Amino acid sequence: MLDRRDFLKLSGATAFAVLFGGCESVPKKIIPFVIPPEDSTLGEALWFATTCRQCPAGCGIVVRVSEGRAKKIEGNPLHPVNRGKLCARGQAGLQTLYHPERLSRPLVLSGPRGSGKYREISWEEALSTLLDGLKRVRAEDPESLLLLTDPMRGHGNLVAARFLRGFGSPHRVAWDPYGQDALLAACQAVFGVRDLPEYDIANARYLLSFSGDFLETWVSPVHYGRAYGDMRHGRVTVRGKFVHFGPRLSLTAANADAYLRIPPGTEGIVSLGLAHVMVREKLTPAAAEATTLWKDGLRGMTPESVAGRTGLSVADIEGVAREFAANQPGLAIAGGGTAGCTNGTFNLTGVALLNALAGNAGRPGGVSFPNRTAGFTRQGTEADLLLPPPESGYAAVRKAAEKMKRGKFRMALYAGAANPAFTLPSTVGFREAFLSIPRVVSFASFLDETTSLSDLVLPVPTYLEEWGDDIAPAGHAGNTVSLGQPVVNPVYDTRSLADILIAAGKELGGPVAAGLPWENLKDCLEKEYGKMGVNLQEAYKNGGIFPREAGRSRPIRNPGSVPFPNPGEARFEGEPDRYPFFLHVYPSTLFYDGRGANLPWLQELPDPLSTAVWHNWVELHPDTAKTLGLSDGDGVTVVSPFGSIQTFVSLHPEIAPDVVAIPLGQGHTRYGKYARERGGNPFTLLPETEEGTTRAPAWQSTRVALSKAAVPGRLVRTASTEGQWKIEHIL
Amino acid sequence: MQDLIALALFALLLAVPFPAEAQKPQPIQYSHKVHVTDNKIDCQFCHSSARRSKYAGIPSVEKCMICHRVIAVGKPEVKKVAKYWSDRKAIPWNRVTELPDHVYFPHYRMVNAGVPCLECHPGMDKAGVAVQNREFTMGFCMACHRKRGVSIDCWTCHY
Repeated sequence: MLDRRDFLKLSGATAFAVLFGGCESVPKKIIPFVIPPEDSTLGEALWFATTCRQCPAGCGIVVRVSEGRAKKIEGNPLHPVNRGKLCARGQAGLQTLYHPERLSRPLVLSGPRGSGKYREISWEEALSTLLDGLKRVRAEDPESLLLLTDPMRGHGNLVAARFLRGFGSPHRVAWDPYGQDALLAACQAVFGVRDLPEYDIANARYLLSFSGDFLETWVSPVHYGRAYGDMRHGRVTVRGKFVHFGPRLSLTAANADAYLRIPPGTEGIVSLGLAHVMVREKLTPAAAEATTLWKDGLRGMTPESVAGRTGLSVADIEGVAREFAANQPGLAIAGGGTAGCTNGTFNLTGVALLNALAGNAGRPGGVSFPNRTAGFTRQGTEADLLLPPPESGYAAVRKAAEKMKRGKFRMALYAGAANPAFTLPSTVGFREAFLSIPRVVSFASFLDETTSLSDLVLPVPTYLEEWGDDIAPAGHAGNTVSLGQPVVNPVYDTRSLADILIAAGKELGGPVAAGLPWENLKDCLEKEYGKMGVNLQEAYKNGGIFPREAGRSRPIRNPGSVPFPNPGEARFEGEPDRYPFFLHVYPSTLFYDGRGANLPWLQELPDPLSTAVWHNWVELHPDTAKTLGLSDGDGVTVVSPFGSIQTFVSLHPEIAPDVVAIPLGQGHTRYGKYARERGGNPFTLLPETEEGTTRAPAWQSTRVALSKAAVPGRLVRTASTEGQWKIEHIL
Repeated sequence: MQDLIALALFALLLAVPFPAEAQKPQPIQYSHKVHVTDNKIDCQFCHSSARRSKYAGIPSVEKCMICHRVIAVGKPEVKKVAKYWSDRKAIPWNRVTELPDHVYFPHYRMVNAGVPCLECHPGMDKAGVAVQNREFTMGFCMACHRKRGVSIDCWTCHY
């Protein structure tokens, strides 16, 4: 054995060896350019503005490029959505560009379909295969062509829509697992506008959130995060108060002044309880006039009855309602955690009602509905193609899966990051259905679960290498257009979906060619914005077109005439005896719906609450864990009536004891070595259930059971907060 | 225990970098003399970022081909350049002149102050492939800075 003296001697000698042995000289090669990029000076960086595509928020970014290589991404200070800020997902976008697993050549199947075995072929061969397939389908049955993408926006979407229309197929399906159907329906019901509202968080004095994760992933998190900062400390004398209701203490909830725990799916009932107090006590002018609402049913939503159903105290309900009314402008937000219940539309309608009763609509610090495509009136009905409503497309994608099984499709084109084979519940049977389509052509940068079901894969440029435009769904007052430009020369020989569709249209001729009278997407942008009188060269430098003056808001309904929403109960699959816990799933702060899971920078970034890296987990209340004989870090099997996954336990002191929570995004079976085998895929636990009103997916609608299991490996966390709970009086 | 220390020191021996190795051969037997002395081409024609950047820079293959599309196309070394050009490949030069990482040396400062290139790179105009005839010691830098009456503050070069 070593004694202390020897140990010190040895460690000294080792340290010396390490210190000096590690010295290495600078790289011995100097590799000059073959052809230097224009306007570049060796050693000096250039910044190019473009648009982030790491999630649908559509932030503006600037990319630092030196010697032709993209080195760093930051927020574009001129862009109204994010004003110079950027989240981790946006920062990690560099890794999509230089990813070692990126597809560099067209691939054709070399094994059975779905095996993921491919061989490289030339672009000529790939494009002629694609074109032959399209020609045959068009000659025999044009309606048997399916175009499956994630929700696209801007002229890229216009090209796709016109291609399909010219081709003669109505089967355009856009799938987004986090669509905002319930929010759209709630805004329609309360304000008479079917669009995402603009929440002026920065100027609010009081903010109520109902399972809204607006600081993490919801709609436009960087925009809201910045506005939230302004609400808290952007004004000299006002520090806005923030109260959060929900079944789980999320990152957003952890920022609140008060977190009030309620059972899943009762957000709508709580909001009606608050509305009841506001109307009963005539706390605002709009509430004083809401007599119809009161008669129609609000009278029955007494704080006592709400308290009985939610476990809140009457004093809390009355106190929050009075504070909310007294501190105007007050704003109420509800997010995915409650929109995904079977009564999601009711919950969101109840919350929207609070905004109507506060009388904040169209006012600073309130909600408004700017016309975000106001600048595109010249496009007529096609203006809607530039910013389609952010729906999930759940009903459409399930209907398409049914049709696939019945052999209705002869060919499918698949593009985008929505990855339906990963993000649809397993009972939909998407994988088998998709495999039954005789010919599937994917446009992708990576072989994810869906792409690897195709028989031809065409490599596309990443968003840092292509031209494009975008209109953000929220975070600007209208008329704002984001532009995308290549910040570096394409790393590989790639072609974008829009460029291939335009080129294929020329070959197909007829109405397809007539609908796409451009050389490529870049040409399309130049011509279309040219017609609008836009100086595109200047706009590319700024990253978009950002008018200083706000566009005119859409007219909204008088709050006095708002109908009373029928209180709906959230339903949950699985008998309570067999499946004792409510499953709460939430988009991963890092991987969104799973698209970011192949980026090592995101995998190694600790989750803000659990601090876990490289794996997913299930959050349990410590008391629940104790009754199950589980402790922190234990392997566990989570079983729902629809599937089961294995992962690790992470204790969470502020989750309801009958709720367990799992972040969505991990659990890939393909998608490269960084994404694979990092826990089970929680999407497979979810039921096929639709939200009652909108037919959006009701992700928060199943119960689960937990049991201890031997799971290989362990959950790695960069810090443990468990010891703090007693000190901070959390437990 | 002694054995362990001996082992650690042996590991140290192995890990110590060897003294400066003999200069590696360059991929092309480029001659500075032919270009600079015989044909009177200014250094900055090829090392064009010297006046704009902290790096003098190595010319791109495209720049070589500006002249060598027509000049001396038959010479074997020029043919090698033409091959790199037609393959669209970069020429992997071996590095000759080096400064340690803790020194900040902006070429453009010297060039714009009128310091001749040959002051620091003596004999380059008569050399074949690049040579480093001058040791870049701090004393050498300081002598010149003192003579010219420019800053000798530590932070001018080290930060």
